[in-house]
Amino acid sequence: MLILQLRNELWKLFGKKRTYIGTGMFLLAQVIFIMLLEFGNGPYRSLVSGIKGAGLSVDNYLSNLTVATITLTPTAFFLLPLYVALVGGDLVAKEAEDGTLRMILSRPVSRLRLLLLKWMAGAVFSLALVITLGLFGALFARIFFPTGGLFVFMPLEGIFGSFDGITAWERFAVVHLVMTVEACSIMSMGFMFSCFNIKPAAATILAISFFFISMMMYNMPYFRELREWFIVHHLFVWTNFFRQSIPWPEVGGSLSILAGYNLTFLIIGCAAFQTRDIKS
Amino acid sequence: MIQLHNVQKIFGRRPAVEDLTLSVPEGEIFGLLGHNGAGKSTAIGMMLGQVWPTQGEVRVCGFDVTTQRQRALQKVGAIFETPVFYDYLSGWRNLEILSHYTAPTSKQRINEVIDWVGLTGREKSNVKTYSHGMRTRLALAQALLPQPKLLILDEPSDGLDPEGIHEMRLTILRLQKEMGLTILLSSHQLKEVELLCTRIAVMNKGRKVFEGAMSSINQAQNWVRLRVNDFAAAVGLLRKNDLITDERDGSFIALAKDSETDQVVRCLVKNNVSVYEIAPHEQDLEEFYLSLMKTDKQPAGEKQPAQPTASQGALP
Repeated sequence: MLILQLRNELWKLFGKKRTYIGTGMFLLAQVIFIMLLEFGNGPYRSLVSGIKGAGLSVDNYLSNLTVATITLTPTAFFLLPLYVALVGGDLVAKEAEDGTLRMILSRPVSRLRLLLLKWMAGAVFSLALVITLGLFGALFARIFFPTGGLFVFMPLEGIFGSFDGITAWERFAVVHLVMTVEACSIMSMGFMFSCFNIKPAAATILAISFFFISMMMYNMPYFRELREWFIVHHLFVWTNFFRQSIPWPEVGGSLSILAGYNLTFLIIGCAAFQTRDIKS
Repeated sequence: MIQLHNVQKIFGRRPAVEDLTLSVPEGEIFGLLGHNGAGKSTAIGMMLGQVWPTQGEVRVCGFDVTTQRQRALQKVGAIFETPVFYDYLSGWRNLEILSHYTAPTSKQRINEVIDWVGLTGREKSNVKTYSHGMRTRLALAQALLPQPKLLILDEPSDGLDPEGIHEMRLTILRLQKEMGLTILLSSHQLKEVELLCTRIAVMNKGRKVFEGAMSSINQAQNWVRLRVNDFAAAVGLLRKNDLITDERDGSFIALAKDSETDQVVRCLVKNNVSVYEIAPHEQDLEEFYLSLMKTDKQPAGEKQPAQPTASQGALP
């Protein structure tokens, strides 16, 4: 029964065009980035000199994985939060706005079960989005760049890594898997606001605002000592998998904190939804 | 089937429903009447566990909706005004999605219901291509899928053309006759309620102002249509002889208890008043409803129900 109901939630989510607008823009952004890296004189030279400057072989490290990772970083920092917040903000509030929620709640389904189903559908969407991005990035970059090692340089995060062969693919895959946690957490935030009696756009805006305020404070030098208190510090836990040596205690801590955030968002959302009246 | 006991709902500071006690017996088509904002939809929301009552008890199919919502709604179907669906999905998929919130539903059952409501051939089309009438039929189909015993219809004829209204009326009657469903029909279309319901409750400003059988409304007062050469003189004479209690519209008189039309005619003819026509008059729901609303608008001290039976209690 749960599987049937989850399948139905996925039908609803993946059946509407609105769900794909974000994904489409995402893929377009990747296409533009990859094309610029290949055909833009400046970006290409800059990339080659970066690899050379690190003392690495351009033949090996100027690969589809390296290019896909370069396109991944800005999209994961800016576009991903935007789109998952949009989907999370829609999950409950859009149904309430359209009136279909009233139709559902004339059925003997508990509000808690309904919300859990919706959250699970949101989590599946987050996973699907991140996997699509990773696969598309790697495959599209393969058209212009050969397969090879993975070179990552993220100066702001203090990350410098180079990986060869199967390890490169493993790191690339694990990063995407862990990035799902980022996507899922922001989706949960939008979902939480969506459970209140507000418009879907308001739920999305609140979630995005929360994220960007946290992001701005995280990047302000005055708050450097407080960085670990901001959610974005933990949301970007996936960047740690680009380090040569993975800091497992830090990764474990961040993932636990994100699990706590997700649970908190879910509980607040459920409590708000349980107590509210559903009217036309 | 439905019992509401001293139910109250307050939104902020505004009471939407006050002290509502209501009972919908099994097998009836029960009409819930009232103008927009009278509290009908809030009352229905409370019956479906969508709106939490501020106080009081709401029981559906024998279960308390607040504490045992799932069990209470197991055999309940509902339709709301302006049916809304997932427009980008097919009618079939919509039915599948909605029915699975109650229980797993077989394809055969979905086909049966689609056939019953007359949507065969269009079930695979996206709902956005459906007309309003087809959407209403789809709404009916989703309500019937869990094989309900109780059907709650909130303004089901809203937005339908006369043909659609007629079709909906026949469908409701068919549902009761063929499936023996108990139906709660909320509407402000008095004609529909009059034609369908066996019992009604009227709400005004969140309060129930009447509950009773339709038959009791039609015979609520002993009104007689009287056509004479001088109505005013006739009324004076009949009042003097204690044969009537009331008159209205220059052509209706309310007979006093124990008086009959032959006595009226005899009295008038004896006093040289020409009588052209005298016939009993059945009050229709519209007249009754309007008189109820008129009574309810009067200040508390002046309230005198236009009809003796239009009271806040239940009629037999």
